[in-house]
Amino acid sequence: MSEPRAFNVPRDRYYDGTHHLWAMRDETSGRVRIGIDAIGLEALGELAYVAVDKVDALIARGASVGTLEAAKMTTSIAAPITGTIVARNKDVLADPRLINEDPYGAGWLLEIEPSMWSADAAEMLSGDAIAPWANAEIEKLDAETEGPRGASSAAG
Amino acid sequence: MPLRLLVDDGASASAGLALDETLASRVGEGISAPTLHLYTYRPHCVLVGRFQEVSHEIDLEACASANIDVNRRPTGGGAILMGPAQLGVALAVPRESGGARELMRSFAYKLRRALADLGINAVFRGKNDLAVNGAKIAGLGIHRDISGGLLFHASLLLDLDVQLMMRVLRTPFARVSRREMDIVSRRIATVRTLVDEEVTMNELREHVAHSFGVDRTGELDADERQAVATLEFSRYRDAAWVHQRSDVPDSAGRATVRTPGGIVDVRVAMAGRTIKTAWIRGDFFADDRTVAELEGLLRWLPAERDAIAAMVRRTWTLEGGTVDATAVIEAVCSAVARAINEPSSPYGCFVAPGSSHG
Repeated sequence: MSEPRAFNVPRDRYYDGTHHLWAMRDETSGRVRIGIDAIGLEALGELAYVAVDKVDALIARGASVGTLEAAKMTTSIAAPITGTIVARNKDVLADPRLINEDPYGAGWLLEIEPSMWSADAAEMLSGDAIAPWANAEIEKLDAETEGPRGASSAAG
Repeated sequence: MPLRLLVDDGASASAGLALDETLASRVGEGISAPTLHLYTYRPHCVLVGRFQEVSHEIDLEACASANIDVNRRPTGGGAILMGPAQLGVALAVPRESGGARELMRSFAYKLRRALADLGINAVFRGKNDLAVNGAKIAGLGIHRDISGGLLFHASLLLDLDVQLMMRVLRTPFARVSRREMDIVSRRIATVRTLVDEEVTMNELREHVAHSFGVDRTGELDADERQAVATLEFSRYRDAAWVHQRSDVPDSAGRATVRTPGGIVDVRVAMAGRTIKTAWIRGDFFADDRTVAELEGLLRWLPAERDAIAAMVRRTWTLEGGTVDATAVIEAVCSAVARAINEPSSPYGCFVAPGSSHG
C-alpha cells in the first residue's frame, strides 16, 4: 500500500467545504482574500487558465465568480463570501500554475470587501472543524483514484 | 434516475452548445433529468476550447469564405472541426452521480465499448483522448457547472475531412505540404477508415446509445427549450463570448538537436507554461506510432523538464530507432525554452485536434 497522502490545510483561515475555496480576512483592512485549497487542487490537476470577474463586481456567496481550466476539467468558481471585488491577482491570471505552486500564498485569486462576513464565516469551516473535514475529503479523493492510498491529513 | 436520450442532426454551433450547457445547469439544479445528447452539427463549425484565443487557433478568413461557424465550448482543450461526420456526445449528470474522475472513466469506458461493438479497440491515452494504434479517434472533456451539474463532452470521429481541417485551423506552416497532410492523417483515426466506409452516423449513434443503456429518444420540455434559447442568445450568439481573450499568453518555439542517429526537429505551441501541442520530426528512424503516442502525451502537459522526460521515457524505445530518449528530451525542452524566452508567432493545436484537456 502506498504511503498516505498529506495535504497542507492551514488552520489560519476559513474553508468553503463544498467548493474547496479558502477565505482569509485581514483584520486591519477588513478585506478577505480567497483562493483554492490544496485538496481542491489535487482534484483539478495543473491549472492552465483562470478567469475571474472584474474589480467592483458584486458577488454573492455560492454564485459564480469565474471559471478555470485545469488538467481534469473546466469548472466555475463559486464565491465563498458575499461582497465586492476590490482586487484580482493579475499574476495568477497570466500564470495560473502559481496557484498549484503556492495555493495559500502567491496563488490567491481575489480580494473582496465583504458585506456580510460574520454570516458567511459561520457557514464555513474553521479551527477544529478543519481536520475532520479535510480527512473526509481526502478519503473521497483517494476512493476516486486507482487503489486506496489511505486517508490522512496534514491539517494544521 | 434513468438517462434520457436526445438525438438531433444539423445543430448550429450556438444551439448545440447552448443545449449542452443548459442541460448541465438544470440537471445540477435537479430540474431536468440526466441526459445523453447525441448529435451532429450542420456543416461545418469550428469549436475552440473554453479559454483558447480564436485568432491563434483558427484561420478566420478561411472559415468565413467556407461559411464555417466559429464558437467556444464550455469544456477545455483544443479547437475541433465538427460537422455531419463527427458525433457530438454530451452527457449531463448531477454531482451526486459520483466524482468527476470516476465518472470520466465510466464515460470513456462506454465510448470504448461502443467502438468495440464496431470492432475497434480504442484505449484511453494521456489525459482525455481515445486512441487506436496511437491515432486519436475521440477527445473528451468535463465541465462542472456552478450548480454542481457535470457535463461530459466528446467528439467521436466517424470520418474527417483532414484537408478542410488543415485549411481552417492555424498551423505553423505557410503552406501545408502533402507530407504534413499525410502525417496529420496518420495521427487521426476514424470509424470509417478503421472498419468500413459504409458505416452510417445513425449506426454509430445507436452503438453509443446502446453502450450507455438507452435506446428510446426523448425530447425537451417547454421550459428547457426556453432556457436553451435564452442561453443561446445571451452567450453563444454573443461575439464577446466567442472572441474573449485570456490573460495567459500563447507562444511557440522550435528546436533541433543533431545526433549520430539523425536530426530531431521539435515544434511546440504553448499556453503560458503548458504545452498545447508538439510536432516531432527529423531525419531519424523511429516507429511512427511511437512518435504519435509521444505527441499525444505531450499535449496539455506542464512544460517542466521532469514531466517531459517522464513522458518521453515512457514512450520512446530504441527498437528499430536511431535516436535515444535523451536527445528527444533535449529537443522538446529546448523548444519549450525557446517558446518561453524567444517566442515566435503563436498557432493552434493543429494536430489531431480535440478536447483533450479539461
